[in-house]
Amino acid sequence: MTNSLRRALSLVCAGALVVLAAGCGGNQNTVAPASPQEHSISDLFWVMLGGATIGFALVVALLWLGYARRARPGLPRAVGERGATRLVVGLGIALPAALLIALFVWSDVFVITSTAAPSRSSTSLSVNVIGHDWWWEVRYPGTPVVTANEIHIPVRTRVYLSASTADVIHSFWIPELNRKIDMIPGRTGHIVLDADRPGVFRGQCSEFCGLQHAHMAVSVVAESQRSFRRWLAANAAPARSGNAAAFLASGCGDCHQIRGTAARGDVGPDLTHLELRRTLAALTLANTPANLDRWIRHPQAVKPGSRMPDVRLADARWAAIDAYLRSLR
Amino acid sequence: MGRDRRLPPEPPLTTTAERSIVTLERVWEARPGVLGWLTTVDHKRIGLLYFWTTLVFFALGGTEALLMRTQLATADEHVISPGGFNELLTMHGVTMIFFFIIPMTTGAFGNYLIPLMIGARDMAFPRLNALSYWLFLGSGLFMYSSVLVHQAPNAGWFDYVPLALKRYDGGLNVDFYALGLILNGVASTVGSINIVTTIFKLRAPGMSWNRMPLFCFAMLAAALSLIFALPALTMDCVFLELQRKAGFDFFSPPGGDPLLWQHLFWIFGHPEVYIIVLPAFGIATSIIPTFARRRMLAFPLVAMAELLVAFIGFGVWAHHMFATGISTTTLAFFAAASTAVVVPSTIQVFAWLFTVNLGTPLFRTPLLFIGGFIVFFVLGGLTGIMFAAIPFDQAATDTYFVVAHFHFIIFGAAVFPLFGGIYYWFPKVTGRLYDEGLGKMSFFVVFAGTLLTFFPMHVVGLLGMTRRVYTYDAGLGWDAYNLLETIGGFILAAGILLILANLIVSWRRNMPAGRDPFNGGTLEWTIPSPPPHYNFAVVPTVTSAYPNWDAADRAHDIEKLHHGESVLADGHQTPTSTVNDAVAGPIAEMPAESPWPIVVGIAVTAAFFMLLTTHVLVASAFVAIALLAVLGWHAEERPQGFTTERLARPNGWWGMALFVAAEATLFGTLIGSYVYLRFRNVQWPAPEIAKPEVLVPVLLTLLLVVSSVPMQLAWRAGGAGRVKAAWRFVAGAFVLQLGYLAWQVHDWVDAIHAAPPSRSTYSSIVTTMLGFGHAHVLLGLLIDAWLLVQLARRFTPYRLVGLQAAAFYWWAVSAISVAVLLTQESAHL
Repeated sequence: MTNSLRRALSLVCAGALVVLAAGCGGNQNTVAPASPQEHSISDLFWVMLGGATIGFALVVALLWLGYARRARPGLPRAVGERGATRLVVGLGIALPAALLIALFVWSDVFVITSTAAPSRSSTSLSVNVIGHDWWWEVRYPGTPVVTANEIHIPVRTRVYLSASTADVIHSFWIPELNRKIDMIPGRTGHIVLDADRPGVFRGQCSEFCGLQHAHMAVSVVAESQRSFRRWLAANAAPARSGNAAAFLASGCGDCHQIRGTAARGDVGPDLTHLELRRTLAALTLANTPANLDRWIRHPQAVKPGSRMPDVRLADARWAAIDAYLRSLR
Repeated sequence: MGRDRRLPPEPPLTTTAERSIVTLERVWEARPGVLGWLTTVDHKRIGLLYFWTTLVFFALGGTEALLMRTQLATADEHVISPGGFNELLTMHGVTMIFFFIIPMTTGAFGNYLIPLMIGARDMAFPRLNALSYWLFLGSGLFMYSSVLVHQAPNAGWFDYVPLALKRYDGGLNVDFYALGLILNGVASTVGSINIVTTIFKLRAPGMSWNRMPLFCFAMLAAALSLIFALPALTMDCVFLELQRKAGFDFFSPPGGDPLLWQHLFWIFGHPEVYIIVLPAFGIATSIIPTFARRRMLAFPLVAMAELLVAFIGFGVWAHHMFATGISTTTLAFFAAASTAVVVPSTIQVFAWLFTVNLGTPLFRTPLLFIGGFIVFFVLGGLTGIMFAAIPFDQAATDTYFVVAHFHFIIFGAAVFPLFGGIYYWFPKVTGRLYDEGLGKMSFFVVFAGTLLTFFPMHVVGLLGMTRRVYTYDAGLGWDAYNLLETIGGFILAAGILLILANLIVSWRRNMPAGRDPFNGGTLEWTIPSPPPHYNFAVVPTVTSAYPNWDAADRAHDIEKLHHGESVLADGHQTPTSTVNDAVAGPIAEMPAESPWPIVVGIAVTAAFFMLLTTHVLVASAFVAIALLAVLGWHAEERPQGFTTERLARPNGWWGMALFVAAEATLFGTLIGSYVYLRFRNVQWPAPEIAKPEVLVPVLLTLLLVVSSVPMQLAWRAGGAGRVKAAWRFVAGAFVLQLGYLAWQVHDWVDAIHAAPPSRSTYSSIVTTMLGFGHAHVLLGLLIDAWLLVQLARRFTPYRLVGLQAAAFYWWAVSAISVAVLLTQESAHL
């Protein structure tokens, strides 16, 4: 009874895993692939899961058999000591060795070619992502574009992504597009991003990096070539002219760069086209006027430990800064 | 096994037998009261001390887990702050691994059961055993004192740099972590040396390798692995502290490399997980034959598999680093080794299953827990195989999928056998039966709780939830799973409390268990429950792997007792035997209670507190106190009656050999780090640093090697009874070695001034490597000085073993010095 219950439970769980993982959740789902690379990882997973379920069922069946036939010594069909030892060697050495070698060759010789670092010549666009505590700096080499926490790429285009860090180890990961790549001081890692359909794909920092590791998400927006070029051109331009006086007088330019103004700081994200971004604080808040005001007035309440300090200013000053930032399209 | 079970009557004793037992009880009588516990060297008492202490840490680690699960039960919770959460996640990992599972399996189960299973009266080094406990307790108090000052370690249990460097973690948090783990590692190394020497040398005559219980094979594999794995972690922590406190540069580009931390950590960290699970295998292979009521199938295969898992486990470490961007070829090697290590485990799983199926199993509580263990071990092992597929690992590492994997292995596969073992040996330790009904209930609750807590983590990990996050957004589809996991966690806690309740209820019920309630096969079931202080009244006759099932041998033991043979009651005595075939060797004299282990433990722990706050001079003072206490320890003369017939290397030699193995591994880590850093740098050393001298270091190293010769001759002279000649040889060696050290240290200090370690990675690693070398020569000089003092007073066989061990030590130090010299001079290539 107990072993049957156990067996039933495990089968239910395996089934649940299949159903639940495949369908629901947000857009950070490893097994809802949106790229050739992630498809190969996902396929690898399902096959391994299938094999694992069979192996697990065999073990549970043997346990159940031990329980059900507990009053009788020996295995069915009068398998004796010798036979059982042969089964141990067969099931314990020969079969696993064969299956494992097959798995190794498939995954670590073949599948790995699609997830390994790409050669630059096999790609047609480059993006550099630099990890910071707790945001992502995004640059497009060959253009003046600098933005943060949001990466745009054209669909069905192999993009060469270079990952590095400005402080501690971070890890760049977009589950629906590819594996993760660590960002290690002194090294640059490379993966390919190749979305096979348009969409917004969410990712998160995948190496513990301190207080706000939980709030260091990133999104990749895959869009048509035309949309992408429009976006890139909009971001390449210097900032729209506006009244930056309050912003600069409050010292914000010491940390934040706004291209085309006197603000030259490189501690925090580039704000030149802040209003072209969908979110604030690395996807912690949606980019709305109310959230923007809340984020810059009380950063420590929104994201405790973030490098942006709580500053006390007059309401009028805040209003002016808000207005200026909202104009940065 | 019901309430009205009758115990088999004890056989009547003859007067000779009675007299022997009375003598044994008198000789082995424990010192009464608290003082008796503080100075105990009895392996059973030390095992119990470990047991209760590790249970307290288990409760602390479990509380940390439940607090985290409460914070994560729903999205965007505000129960725990981000900083507090980071401390919880770090302390949970550190506590469970270093202060619960390892000391519980090696310190509690290992210490209590190994002598009982091999027919010995204690471990090989009883005072060292006590020292390992006090150092362990000291390391636990040290680590948890961080909580009292609100600076608990907070950079994760693997404490990656640069996050753990002073720049990003400026308080004492990481210093508590690094120093605490070094101290804990010393405790574990000391304990492991004891376990290996005991298993090698103290088996009852006749217990050759093929007759040794599988539990002991598992403990041997775990202890050997600890000895060879810990130095990597120790060195990593030393590098970290040198960088944090003295500005050395091991981990910061361009000269240093953050991945050096990761490599060293995982070179320790992966064998660590096998160290965690091997004793669990040992417990499983003890329970299965008893409750299946037949021998373990394919015994030699299982024994070898246990050793092979540990061995191959040393070659897989970089599978924890598959996402770091190191070359595909390197990754493939580690993936291949990681798939290979699966096979010894599958051998064992099927051996266990077929043993149960070939027998007529009794599904009592211990076997139920082993059934649960097999289910979870296979589940966790299968997801482990998935991680050997590099592309999948690169997607699933650092997510809750891997958290699920390792919790099924650590909790399901390491803790379930612990629970089973607690039930199984409760009657032996307490003399009372546990309550079977409550036992079964506790199993089902714990099983359900484990499944509910950890299984949903697979799903939520695939849905993208990363590790070590103090909260998460709603709308990502993670909420329901997290809530289930939290509920599961509380159910699991309830189940564990049920186990504890059962132990308390069973203790109070006091149903006598007798010697052998389950008809187990191994020697611990041949003695009364609880065991008398002297364990065995006579040296047991062993002719098979399941001695308690050999009625003729047990009858022979009773005859020996009636004739007063093999009683060994002239002192605290236990038989030793040869390593392979267990041919009877000299009788070993064991110490009785001693105050020195706790004194050394306190002094060393105090020294670590001083290092934490960078009071180096005060720390040195405490080290000096510890060394004086060690002298007191060695001055405890043991009564004569030590036979001089040398059949095999004595216990003391094995202790020194294993210590040397640990130290050699330490230097291997240093040399390996040197080579790693060298190849990370184009210019080595940097142009402004002078390359090392050649002539003087070579001549000095030659001098050191030569000085080992008089040490060897001293041993030979001592063995021939020429004590004065031995003294002169040691004195001569001492002079050579002192000269060597003085000159080397002078040059070393000059080099530090010329090229400060804080300014170059080259200088950091060379200074550290040479410094460790000099420290080992200094230690040797202290050993020599002690020998000179003692040889001038009284020569005993104990001193002769000292000469043998010291000679071995100096040969080892010479070899290490040559290796260090070659490494240093390689800068010229």
